[in-house]
Amino acid sequence: MRARNWELFGLVPAALLVSAGFAAIYIQRSNQLSTVSLVYGGVFLGLCLAGHIFIRITLPHADPFIFPLVAVLACFGVVMVYRIDGATLARQQAQWFVLGLVLFAGTVLIFRDYRKLENYRYLIMIGSVLLLLLPRVPHVGVSTGGAYLAIHLPGITFQPTEIAKVGLVIFLASYLRDHRQALASGRRILGYAIPPLKHLGPLLVLWGAAMLALIVIKDIGSSLMFYGALLAILYVATDRISFVIVGLLLFAGGAWYLGTHIQHIDARVLDWLHPFSPKLYNDPLGSYQLANAQFAMAAGGLFGQGFGQSLLVVPGTHNLFIPVPSTDMIYAIITSELGLFGAAGLLLVYLLFVARGFKAAMLARDSFSKLLAVGLSSVFGLQVFVIVGGVTRVIPLTGVPLPFVSYGGSSILANFVLVALMLLVSDRARRPTIQPLRNMEMVP
Amino acid sequence: MLQPVSVGLKFGFLIVLYLFLLWVAASSLFDLRRGLGGRGRGQVPAGEPTGIHQTVDPLALLEGDFEPRLVVDHALGHDPGVAYDLMEPVTLGRGSVELRLEDPFASTRHAMITRQGRTVVIEDLGSTNGTYLNGEPLTGPQPLHDGDQIRIGDSQFTYYQ
Repeated sequence: MRARNWELFGLVPAALLVSAGFAAIYIQRSNQLSTVSLVYGGVFLGLCLAGHIFIRITLPHADPFIFPLVAVLACFGVVMVYRIDGATLARQQAQWFVLGLVLFAGTVLIFRDYRKLENYRYLIMIGSVLLLLLPRVPHVGVSTGGAYLAIHLPGITFQPTEIAKVGLVIFLASYLRDHRQALASGRRILGYAIPPLKHLGPLLVLWGAAMLALIVIKDIGSSLMFYGALLAILYVATDRISFVIVGLLLFAGGAWYLGTHIQHIDARVLDWLHPFSPKLYNDPLGSYQLANAQFAMAAGGLFGQGFGQSLLVVPGTHNLFIPVPSTDMIYAIITSELGLFGAAGLLLVYLLFVARGFKAAMLARDSFSKLLAVGLSSVFGLQVFVIVGGVTRVIPLTGVPLPFVSYGGSSILANFVLVALMLLVSDRARRPTIQPLRNMEMVP
Repeated sequence: MLQPVSVGLKFGFLIVLYLFLLWVAASSLFDLRRGLGGRGRGQVPAGEPTGIHQTVDPLALLEGDFEPRLVVDHALGHDPGVAYDLMEPVTLGRGSVELRLEDPFASTRHAMITRQGRTVVIEDLGSTNGTYLNGEPLTGPQPLHDGDQIRIGDSQFTYYQ
């Protein structure tokens, strides 16, 4: 039970953070202190407590830090969405969190023995691929900035890639669990062991699918995310770095070809390389957003301008200074208002989350659990890299949500499923083994 | 007038955030150290992947100090130190057998260990790469003695009774 008490203690900072954030924004808005912020903090703490009690009952041995880390991320999200878009969207965001917690509970209850997911792996894979392709269906898919990422159903916009991400990791973990030995062996040709084509085939198909998705969905960010997770799982499964090197070379080749042949990606690469060129800055699909994000982050300095202080709207007009501030660009606003320290703190939260995921993988006793935890952590970390790297001009920008922070329902729901699976793996891994019979070490 | 409060809240936010991060990082480090030190202090994790059957013959247990078991020295997919019960016949191999080896050099059904009363016998099942008992290839059934070492491919086990 000690682990659960640690978890409970870890929720206190999250509640403090959300109270401080709301208080600061409230002061900025109406120039007076109000108890409203404390109410928000209280409600937030209440939600976290509900989640905590659920975990205490169903997953008593799970990692104690994963849930508080998620709570801190969620607190960043709710505070920043409130800051950027006001109370209505913040309330919606909070409602998504409630729904997310419900889905979390559902996942934990239905998949208590998550290994039965393996029985449906091909179904899960086909479903995930269909979800990935769905945005391309006419009248359903929506194109934002040239990339097809969201689908539009009456009353709701949905990002299927977020769900597909979890599904594909489950499939890969299960598939590679069965084929890792075959992949790791193989005939030696020129000192390099070539895995049998029979086993390599499906992986080549996956590489082709990633490339095809890149062409069809026109989104380099998500394909980098999926492909990176594939390589991470492959590396852990086979312990062969050559797969990673060859895989990265193949990806780089594919990305280079697409970058020079597809107009939309090409434009993004140009924006990335020359965001401050006057011609690109004034283009409709140009670097306006990216360049202004750099200015906003620079304005943040070391400790930031403070909550509610960063420029959102170009003075004298109704134009947004940085388009889509509460989803793709939320990291730029956070940096602007909390400075280098705030942004680095946020990244450290993600880093520790991924570290806890790898820790769960290390402790897990069977290969599927190990690979699942590695895959989920990697895809989560890579998603953060893709969006933060995009905003800070490390790689060309693609709009994937910053997990748990960006505004958006599908992202929050999918990530709660991801966290549920991670806690399930962790709970099984950390469960104390049954005491040996007499002094003999026996399998329970 | 409220400006200092605002600034204070911002720094308060950052301080709480970093204290939280420090706490998680320090605890993780502690966790890691404990995990490293804890190995071999009797806290043997159970090997779940094989899903080996656990039923122990109740009559056999009455026989006294006879607990034949196979302890993992090193084997892919098994944690070192895990012990498998040999009261029931156990087949080792890569296929769907009682003790699954994730070893590229193991055959589907590689070797079999059976108990006849208080004698435990190991037998190679015609594997491609052979089974080694104390460094020597098996040719036919061999009784096992306390401390015997069994090697299949890159996997090594020790027999205790």
